[in-house]
Amino acid sequence: MRNRLPDGGRIDRTRRISFTFNGRSLSGFHGDTLASALLANGIRLTARSFKYHRPRGIVGSGVEEPGTLVELEGRDASANRPATTVPLRDGLKARSVNCWPSPAFDLGAMTQIAARFLPAGFYYKTFKWPNWHLYEPSIRRAAGLAGAPAAPPEGRFEARFAHADLLVVGAGPAGLRAALEAGRDGARVMLVDEGIEPGGSLLNRRLEVDGKPALDWVAETVSELAALPNVTHLQDATAWAYREHNYLMVNESSPGHGLLERSWRIRAARVILATGAIERTLVFGNNDRPGVMLASAAQAYVNRYAVTPGRRAVIFTNNSSAYAVAADLAAAGITVAAIIDSRAEVPQETREFVPGIEILPAHVVTRARGHRRLRVVEVAPIQGGPTRRIQCDLLAQSGGWNPAVHLWSQSRGTLRYDEKIASFLPDAPVQSVRAIGAAAGDLTLPGEAPYKVQPLWRVEAAKGKAFLDIQNDVTVDDVHLALREGYGNVEHVKRYTTGGMGIDQGKTGNINIIGTVALQQGARMEEVGTTTFRSPYTPVSFGAIAGQRDGPVTLPYRHTPLTDWNKARGAVMYEAGARWQRPGYFPRPDESFQDSVNREARVVREGVGIYDGSPLGTFEIKGRDVGRFLDHLYTNIMSGLQPGRGRYGLMLTDDGLIFDDGVVLRLSEHRWIVSASTGHAAAVQSHMEELAQTQFPDWQIFLTDVTSQWANATVCGPKAREVMMALGGDIDLTRKALPFMGFADGTVAGLPARVVRVSFTGELSFEINVAPRHLPELWEKIMAAGASHGIQPVGSEANHVLRVEKAFLSLAHEVDGTVDPHDLGLGWAMSKKKADYIGKRSIALRRAGGAVRRELVGFLPEPDRQVPEGAPLTPGGKTRATEGLVTACVWSVVQDRWIGLALLENGASQHGEMAHVRVKDEVLPVRITAPIHYDPEGERLRA
Amino acid sequence: MSYDVAITDGPVRAIFDLKGPQAALADWAGDTLPGFPDAPNRRVREDGKTLAHIGPDHWLLIADLTREEALTDALKPADAPPEISIVRVSDVYAWVRITGPDAAHVTATGCPLDLETFPDDGADFTEFFTQKALITRGGHGFEVAIDRSYAPWITEMLARITP
Repeated sequence: MRNRLPDGGRIDRTRRISFTFNGRSLSGFHGDTLASALLANGIRLTARSFKYHRPRGIVGSGVEEPGTLVELEGRDASANRPATTVPLRDGLKARSVNCWPSPAFDLGAMTQIAARFLPAGFYYKTFKWPNWHLYEPSIRRAAGLAGAPAAPPEGRFEARFAHADLLVVGAGPAGLRAALEAGRDGARVMLVDEGIEPGGSLLNRRLEVDGKPALDWVAETVSELAALPNVTHLQDATAWAYREHNYLMVNESSPGHGLLERSWRIRAARVILATGAIERTLVFGNNDRPGVMLASAAQAYVNRYAVTPGRRAVIFTNNSSAYAVAADLAAAGITVAAIIDSRAEVPQETREFVPGIEILPAHVVTRARGHRRLRVVEVAPIQGGPTRRIQCDLLAQSGGWNPAVHLWSQSRGTLRYDEKIASFLPDAPVQSVRAIGAAAGDLTLPGEAPYKVQPLWRVEAAKGKAFLDIQNDVTVDDVHLALREGYGNVEHVKRYTTGGMGIDQGKTGNINIIGTVALQQGARMEEVGTTTFRSPYTPVSFGAIAGQRDGPVTLPYRHTPLTDWNKARGAVMYEAGARWQRPGYFPRPDESFQDSVNREARVVREGVGIYDGSPLGTFEIKGRDVGRFLDHLYTNIMSGLQPGRGRYGLMLTDDGLIFDDGVVLRLSEHRWIVSASTGHAAAVQSHMEELAQTQFPDWQIFLTDVTSQWANATVCGPKAREVMMALGGDIDLTRKALPFMGFADGTVAGLPARVVRVSFTGELSFEINVAPRHLPELWEKIMAAGASHGIQPVGSEANHVLRVEKAFLSLAHEVDGTVDPHDLGLGWAMSKKKADYIGKRSIALRRAGGAVRRELVGFLPEPDRQVPEGAPLTPGGKTRATEGLVTACVWSVVQDRWIGLALLENGASQHGEMAHVRVKDEVLPVRITAPIHYDPEGERLRA
Repeated sequence: MSYDVAITDGPVRAIFDLKGPQAALADWAGDTLPGFPDAPNRRVREDGKTLAHIGPDHWLLIADLTREEALTDALKPADAPPEISIVRVSDVYAWVRITGPDAAHVTATGCPLDLETFPDDGADFTEFFTQKALITRGGHGFEVAIDRSYAPWITEMLARITP
């Protein structure tokens, strides 16, 4: 570590750490970042740039870093991490991104030869012939960042909620004071800070607070905060998003409990933003050379990490803050060759910081020279004049400071441009939030020279590429080009040039883009304005956002009480609507998928099967006005239903399109049961609640979701009644006593049950509804009672076959949001007696227009083969506008062939004719039939 | 290091969903119900029965499952007048109890409510791992009732926090 100072810094010299960078073994100390350790080892060339593959070094010391992104390997695997934010740990493996084979010799640097042909937006105008996609892969490879790791990191993430009276963001001097005062007053305080340790800018400077060394004050303050039970202090925790109602996202690294990261979602009554300020770059020729560094970063490396980032330094500034940096560098033994100050006047109190160091007022650096490292800077009077060359290996630059207003802006608070500090400041809050300290524009700490700045958005006499956005390789010329091409709005400039769209979000350079636009347009800064500050403030891992929901489990899923039974029988389980995990089929050894489905469908058609219908949406509705409410909701009349009977009905949208179908049971005069499709149950419930609460608030309607109160086993097939009889119970199961669409309460197999005669298979069916706690017992009893009849469990795949044979409609197949009842041959379900119901008038208006409609048809593929569901039907199979689509195609065990359903323009009048399904490289002829392929009279289900 | 917490599944309980004007429910139920809570999102516990005020004109009556039949007989849901609704929903909910020193932290991984200020007699519908849930204090921690069909999902989420 040749550039390590012999003493000082906040590193632990007793804890030596080994790491590798680009395959080279190196060492550092506990307390180092990867960036400080690289500098300590004398490594200056650390990266190649995004677009031009220019040599890059370390520019900053924190989240603002635009120069060096690294890819971490092994257990830390992650991509595009700023080297300045990677804590050093033993065994860390890092490598530079966007270069091959190494930053020192990068083949991608060839692009610099063609740089003049690659201006901003070149990809909008070139590589168009014959096809952009021909070039896209190689362009992305040449101008890309690190790829995502091949595997997720080892470890767990966690998300949790928290609440606070006061959330303080930032544990610098202002934030610590605010947290302490509120904590002493007894408020429930959360203090979060992105740094590895608290102190903010005090960590990097040699200052005093309250008459004592600043870091002693920090330690005492933190200690007092830790003793307050009402204060929660999270360090290494970045507030990265500010949402509505003071809801903030905070990402905490290594929080313990074996966690990699914890994502906090904090709701605070008040928020204080003490987020500090970010130093900005200056814009001159080759301002990206390794060795050109933010002045505050150079100060941090010297004071905090005891690292000398160079031996001979030049300071280039437009403000007073860099003078303390010069003093600190000199104190560390670095030769400060000169201070180049673009201001005409340098205040005396500032000069006093740097006795003996040459100051060149009204001068600018026009160009940095050197290729892989800085060797010389060229300096000239700002008004023009002879150029002077100064040898140096470090240029510490300060273009002034921007209050970190990112979170303020995310909170939708407004910003105003302040001429005095030449930056945008928090103005009017929208939420209960206040900015303090540097974040509010107070940029002078006790013991520092008063902050004075004269903006310098770019050096007019710059020679060579002058970068506004170092990370995205956006130059002054790029912005000028965007303006010439008419992209005058700063948001358009951003999109055209990609300025500010890198991982660093332009923290150091966006203001220079705004300034460059203002200069070019002759506008004031506030007239140009800022681009939108968006979350995340800093990159956030997907794992932190997902929390516990990683791996294969990212969305909630639901189970019926039979999941264990199904899995034990080898069922293939998957989601079948509304997150329900259901058995798709029950394969037997050496049985194919199709064999399983055929066997299960056949057992229902020829014998008896059983399936779990529990996920069906079920609601109990009570009240005097339920009858007329349901009449308004459904297309047919429900109010006339007799207690003890059920009726099938359709619900429409206001547009007169089918929304859902289901069965309504009338339990008594004022009690009803409404069933809804599994996939639409939640939507149907919301629909009913909205109607009841907003359109009919005076009607007496009580709606209760009982979907999970009732589970059901449905016994179906020609032998279903025999199995039911064998089960025993007190319900008369004869056709006369319990006809189709009837129901009865009683006991089945000794269990309290409601038996409903509905059918979703087209066969005789008994839906036995019981409490879920009883379903496993009922199921076993049914299997035992049906064993002599060959009963078998049936999955959703066979159910799909059975419903297609009967042309029973299915959500997302035939009911695709475009069809009305007439289209599906269900005009009979639309009451002509009711004055009105939802969707009635819309259908009438649409039908009066006489437009062609897609109507439900059946089809038989000729030749007999499977046709893909969703495939389009086109006239003659030609490449023309579609006239319909295939909604389903299954192997029918009763027809012993492939059959299907489709929506076809004027399909009802085309039975017997041929239509054509167009698939890739093929046309499949199908013969159009009536939709119902089996038992069109419905005799079997009424048996 | 994992959290110092115990997570246990609770048994099925007798639960009745009650809707309608408070006076009408009180008239119908008589002394079957505990006293009504004074405020929304509060509960009253009497004689082994809990009455939770969970919404406008909306309560849940909760008791041990052994009392389900007796309560059904007393409340007579099928015979209740039209101005009130009484529906047995015992099987709708699965119960999870989270207790121990870290109970609040573990519960907060799924629940957005402010658990530090959650009252002892609180009974609040909220979300738990994105699903609708009723939360109450129980033992040295919290009890969460969620739709039974989501119980495996909730169990898995909690297991991921406390491996």
